[in-house]
Amino acid sequence: MTTEQLLLSTWSAGLVVPLLCLLAIAGYALRFRRRLGARAALFVLAVVLFFVALASPIGALARGYLFSAHMLQHLLLMLAVPPLVLIGLPREPSAASPRRAGAAEYVGSWLAGVGAMWIWHAPLLCDAAASSTAVQWLQTGSLLVMGLAFWRPVLAPRVSDRLPAFSAMVYLFAACVGCTILGITVTLSPVEVCRAYMHPVDSLGVLPLLRGGWGLSSKADQELGGLLMWVPTCLVYGAAILATLGRYYGEEHAASAFPGAPSAR
Amino acid sequence: MTVASPDRVVAHAPSDPAEEGVFGWVATVDHKRIGTLYLLTSLFFFGIAGVEALLIRVQLARPNAHFLSADAFNQIFTMHGTTMIFLVVMPTLVGLANYLVPLMIGARDMAFPRLNALSYWLFPFGGLLLHFSLLAGGAPSAGWFSYAPLSETPYSSTSGTDYWVLALLLLGIGSVGGAINLIATVITLRAPGLSIRRLPLFVWMTFVTAILILLALPVLNASLVMLLVDRRLGAHFFQANGGGSPILWEHFFWTFGHPEVYIMALPAFGIVSEVIPVFSRKPIFGYEFVAGSTVAIGILSFGVWAHHMFAAGLGHRADLAFAIGSMAIAVPTGVKIFNWIATMWGGAIRFETAMLFATAFLIQFVVGGLSGITFAAAPIDWQVTDTYYLVAHFHYVLFGGTAFAVLAGIYYWFPKMTGRLLDERLGRVHFWLTVIGFNLTFFVQHFLGIMGMPRRVFTYPDLPGWGALNLASTVGAFILGLSVLVFAWNMAISLRRGAVAGDNPWDAWTLEWATTSPPHPLNFERVPPVLGRRPLWELSLPQAPRRSAAIPTSEQAPPDKSVVAVWAFVVSETGFFVVLILSYVFFNLSTKAAAAALDARTTGLFTACLLASSLTLVLAERSLARGGHRAFRAWMVSTVLLGCVFLAGQAREYLKLFDGGIAVSSSLFASTFFTLTGFHGLHVALGLVALGVVAGLGFAGSPRGGPGHALKAVGIYWHFVDAVWVVVFSIVYLRSVL
Repeated sequence: MTTEQLLLSTWSAGLVVPLLCLLAIAGYALRFRRRLGARAALFVLAVVLFFVALASPIGALARGYLFSAHMLQHLLLMLAVPPLVLIGLPREPSAASPRRAGAAEYVGSWLAGVGAMWIWHAPLLCDAAASSTAVQWLQTGSLLVMGLAFWRPVLAPRVSDRLPAFSAMVYLFAACVGCTILGITVTLSPVEVCRAYMHPVDSLGVLPLLRGGWGLSSKADQELGGLLMWVPTCLVYGAAILATLGRYYGEEHAASAFPGAPSAR
Repeated sequence: MTVASPDRVVAHAPSDPAEEGVFGWVATVDHKRIGTLYLLTSLFFFGIAGVEALLIRVQLARPNAHFLSADAFNQIFTMHGTTMIFLVVMPTLVGLANYLVPLMIGARDMAFPRLNALSYWLFPFGGLLLHFSLLAGGAPSAGWFSYAPLSETPYSSTSGTDYWVLALLLLGIGSVGGAINLIATVITLRAPGLSIRRLPLFVWMTFVTAILILLALPVLNASLVMLLVDRRLGAHFFQANGGGSPILWEHFFWTFGHPEVYIMALPAFGIVSEVIPVFSRKPIFGYEFVAGSTVAIGILSFGVWAHHMFAAGLGHRADLAFAIGSMAIAVPTGVKIFNWIATMWGGAIRFETAMLFATAFLIQFVVGGLSGITFAAAPIDWQVTDTYYLVAHFHYVLFGGTAFAVLAGIYYWFPKMTGRLLDERLGRVHFWLTVIGFNLTFFVQHFLGIMGMPRRVFTYPDLPGWGALNLASTVGAFILGLSVLVFAWNMAISLRRGAVAGDNPWDAWTLEWATTSPPHPLNFERVPPVLGRRPLWELSLPQAPRRSAAIPTSEQAPPDKSVVAVWAFVVSETGFFVVLILSYVFFNLSTKAAAAALDARTTGLFTACLLASSLTLVLAERSLARGGHRAFRAWMVSTVLLGCVFLAGQAREYLKLFDGGIAVSSSLFASTFFTLTGFHGLHVALGLVALGVVAGLGFAGSPRGGPGHALKAVGIYWHFVDAVWVVVFSIVYLRSVL
């Protein structure tokens, strides 16, 4: 099998995934039918990425073949879909008397985001998810929910629900550190994290291509997975930090100290 | 006169006899004096390290020379690198920050003046400790990054490396203290109206640098501790022959070392971001981008350390990831360069000496940055790493970049610090000698490196071109030395006979120029209202409101400074423990057998005591808030007792292990276990001392409204120590049971 054949032939949507996607889009259109705008495109993009994560060759390879493909799927479900969903929802007007969430709530959200990375890569759970369909669905669902919980303090549609800019930056940076520590451990560790990916059952007949053509031995695969866990994750968090800072500076122009002065740049 | 009115006391406080003379300087807690002390001490060490550099260049001027022995050469380049980085560049930048940050944000002093003095005094004593090695059998000679196993006892048998470790530990503790102080100062002491959005870029970049110090230095401190345990207690953390990993030292060192590069570069960027706009008569172009790219650099700087280790053989995929990350840093750095150029573009540029140095900084830093990008490509790195090409690269960054920016800053702020302008004519001579000397010394080293001349060899064979290029480099170094003498002469005569500066000689617009030169001991008679990013300029506009009505109403009261400081300290301590925990995991991941000697059940009981002490501390805080002093004392005493019980439990565990013949040096498990739990125990002990002090205040009835303030700060620290133990207990003990 060639790479081209693999990319074309291993799409396996099934029934559930397309149905979920259609339901999500229909639900969005109904719920916000009076306020449909450019943001809807972001929501659709989130749904498309969800579909790609599960139904494309990424999904196929994540089912027992490649740890790195599983990591890619994990990143799409945690770092791409949930933030796009949140940005894709129409802005809600800030509550008149905003309910200030306590520190415990934010710690909980943070633990959900970083914990999803740690828990699902405990060898036991990682193996279970790679070999059982039911556990895989559980994983997918929990990643989406924990992802939404993590990103809500940064990107909630209601601005008064968000963390203040500098707290949000600390929140995101700490998450980057958390994933870095795990990513380094997985990359440099001599111990296999997911045994299920060591000796895949080759039902699709693609293993020779992966090991030979792509040069991904099981050790190289784990290294790549660890790097994915670490570098793109931190780049996304870093980008979110810069976006938060940009938003903070943007507020200056909205509320200039005294209008007579030339713009203070 | 026997009774002084309160007003007179304030007016006369500065001329208190205790403030006069040498004792006044030794005992000072004034940020301006401490800043000056930092700068003067750095200048002293700069002289030493400069002479070392000249000795190196004399030895290398001719092929096959024997001016220095190989061993002396190793010692001198190690001392040159260590001194320049830890005793010159960092303290100079911290000194400038110390002097200027409170002035630029309209504060009277740093948040913690006494901590500030402590941070300073650790610096000269650290320097003395490092140099004391010369009297104790020889200076360290394993290079400024002391790669293991060269730095281990079998290969560095003199005590030089031990002094290196101890000196760097002292300096590291001082730097972390300074960073905590700067963070608390910037967060809590800004003048009304000076929101974070309006911070002068020097303050902003110093703030980001302080965060980098807070996160990076603990990694170095933890690795130094492990190296010292290796050398003095016979462990094998970094020695392959005992199962340890020399590569681990490289990882840890560069996890500190790469952010360190930005710790030395960001404040320099800050200086240039102040100097260029003032001398171009324009506001900085794209303030938000300069500020934001600083954050981007700060984040990326923690993800690219392994580009220092391409030659160590990390594997293809890791090389690729680190190469991409390293190249990504060029983007925010490039953004800054374009912003500075755009600031100068179309400006009414005044080429005073400060601006000359800032302009040369721009050009030379681009050269150093471009050669840096070539190192990001792993295959090029394999060819030229550890050659003179690398030496040329980092001197272009650190001398052509940072040192030039610092000189620009000194020409810019000297009048503020002393009340007198530096001589412009001598300044120009100084500038041109520095530019010619610097470029002659280091530009030719690019070619030497590409021709294959390795760094750190004490001499070289007479290959075609090598002798001539090295001689040119040596001539350049002496021109550079001459330029330093001109600079020193300029400072000496300007201090006495320089033109009087006045408050604001450069028509600058940040707050430090609103006060007298040199500043009043309390900094400001009255802090002017801050209406934007250029307070003095905005105040001079006719439409500026005369009253402070323009202060944004949305500003919240700043957080309590001791709480900010303790949280910053907790962040830094977390870094320290993460490194120790990671080493434990790294060495014990594949085996559970070694931990079988531990007594998980009994330790579990003592763990419960420690956790209970967190609870009793919360109860103590509650009863203090409710005014129940009796209950407060009872809960404090039980907290201290529970902590002591935990320590006793640890001692029992240690004794049992010793009885079983398990000591620090017996195995990697033992080394990692004792180092990790030992340092945790040390933190518990220190926490107990702090709790004891607070409890004592409670018993004595502290005059300043009781111990509530201190209790809050100590409480955060105590909970942190307990939280660390929860992690340690799970990883060390629970894993051995499950």
